[in-house]
Amino acid sequence: MSVIELRNISKSWGGNKALKDISMEMESGIVGIVGPNGAGKTTLVNIIAGQNQPSSGKVFYKGKDITTLPSYKRARMGIIKTFQVVRPFKSLTVRENVELFSKIRGQTNSEDILKITGLESFQDRFPVELPFGLLKKLEIAKALSANPDLLLLDEPFGGLGKDDIEKLSKFILELREMGKHMIIVEHKISALLPLVDKIVLLDLGEIKFDGSVNEFRANERIGELYFGGVIDAGN
Amino acid sequence: MKNKQILFLSRGYIISIIIVLVTVVVSTVIRSPFLTLSLTISDIFILLALAWDFSSGTTNYINFGISFFFGIGVFATGYFYYSFHLPVLLLLLISTLLGVLAGLLFTIPTVRVRGVFFTLLSLLLPLMGTSFILAFWTVLGMPTIGYFNIVQISKSPEVALIYISIIVLLLLTLVYLVNSTHFGLVLKGIGDDENALVAQGVDSFPYKVVIFSVSMGIAGLAGAIYAMTTTFAGVDSFGLEFLLYPMVIAILGGKGKLLGTIPAGYLIILMSQYLQQYVGDLTLMLFAALAIFLFLFLPKGISGWYK
Repeated sequence: MSVIELRNISKSWGGNKALKDISMEMESGIVGIVGPNGAGKTTLVNIIAGQNQPSSGKVFYKGKDITTLPSYKRARMGIIKTFQVVRPFKSLTVRENVELFSKIRGQTNSEDILKITGLESFQDRFPVELPFGLLKKLEIAKALSANPDLLLLDEPFGGLGKDDIEKLSKFILELREMGKHMIIVEHKISALLPLVDKIVLLDLGEIKFDGSVNEFRANERIGELYFGGVIDAGN
Repeated sequence: MKNKQILFLSRGYIISIIIVLVTVVVSTVIRSPFLTLSLTISDIFILLALAWDFSSGTTNYINFGISFFFGIGVFATGYFYYSFHLPVLLLLLISTLLGVLAGLLFTIPTVRVRGVFFTLLSLLLPLMGTSFILAFWTVLGMPTIGYFNIVQISKSPEVALIYISIIVLLLLTLVYLVNSTHFGLVLKGIGDDENALVAQGVDSFPYKVVIFSVSMGIAGLAGAIYAMTTTFAGVDSFGLEFLLYPMVIAILGGKGKLLGTIPAGYLIILMSQYLQQYVGDLTLMLFAALAIFLFLFLPKGISGWYK
């Protein structure tokens, strides 16, 4: 059974069609969504998370139609989205940011989450005291504390330097080992490709490619059209 | 290990308790009727400010309707004392419960919207309620001006102040404890970024309903105490000062930092009470000028000093 299935999803903002009849399936593992600015990537994950409603079409999670469910109910089912711009709770400490969700789920794994995200030694600090790389980790720690099954990561590498990207990539692979499914929206193709099982390329609200990483790399036309030549050369 | 914020609250909590106890001691030693009355009025406004800050200050849902719930407490006390001669404790309880009930009726439709829409509704719905009560006041057979000679908490103003101070301390402890719990974390989360909270599976609606209903119950309780202190329940109890002063106290104390409310409350109300004696109607103007000065030069409020 698919983890997530989108059937004929369309979304319009006024007269602008952000998504046009999108259908895709995700079996397991990590799916990367790429495409130029304005392609509809964030709109697509927002629709999966329930933060936007599709104008038409259906969203299925593990076979169940969740199209009309509000975002908090989807989150409780295990679909958690991180934000493109980090949004920590500023008046709470790092630990409280994590405990806020873990306690609601009756979980006692805050310590583990702080440890695996490398935030343990910063737990009593407030978000305003953290560097950007750690704020990105806090965003993921918050998501993990809600015990997700499917993580929707919106540009997790945005604004990060090379070292932080490497650390975060390693961490994402560890999450995958833990059995978490992920959909990652990302501009940095070179960082994304080593992580994902499948790539979806969106442009102007349409799927231009949906296949394996190897097929994606081998597709010269996509390379020329979207990445100025060879894919994975520091894109 | 306790985190910084809990330690900060602990310090503020202890300072607040000490201030309340000092006011009781000063009132008992000096025995000035004016000072005791001023301290009692201060306590009543502190209760209102706590109620406002507990809900609006923490969640950032700015509520302009708190004076309505205060007025309900005042009127309920007058009505139930006159009609049934209920004892003080029962009057306090009924006023609180009616405040909670009215709070529920107010909250359920309003907290579904945010920002300026909520604020506008928080102004309009209580206005509707106030208009309704005033329009039907005489129709319902109530005294034209209001209820006089309402029962006092105690014949001795000093003893009444002790009882009221105990209520203030109990509620202060309640808000302190709630702030330290997971419920308090969710409230702060609502104030920081409600969308992010909902996106991770928290249904914020029941939290908002509970906190606003409890807060409006506290406002009703403050109204009952006010009626018993002035021994009068009239239409002026829905007045603007029962919104303006609590908000200014809460913001001067540090919005969302409930424990700054105590020093801010005594500062503002005692100053107003004494200014009233010397400058009369100019008090409100001076009060507004001082409020502007403090907001400009002390934007984090008094609780900023605790840090």
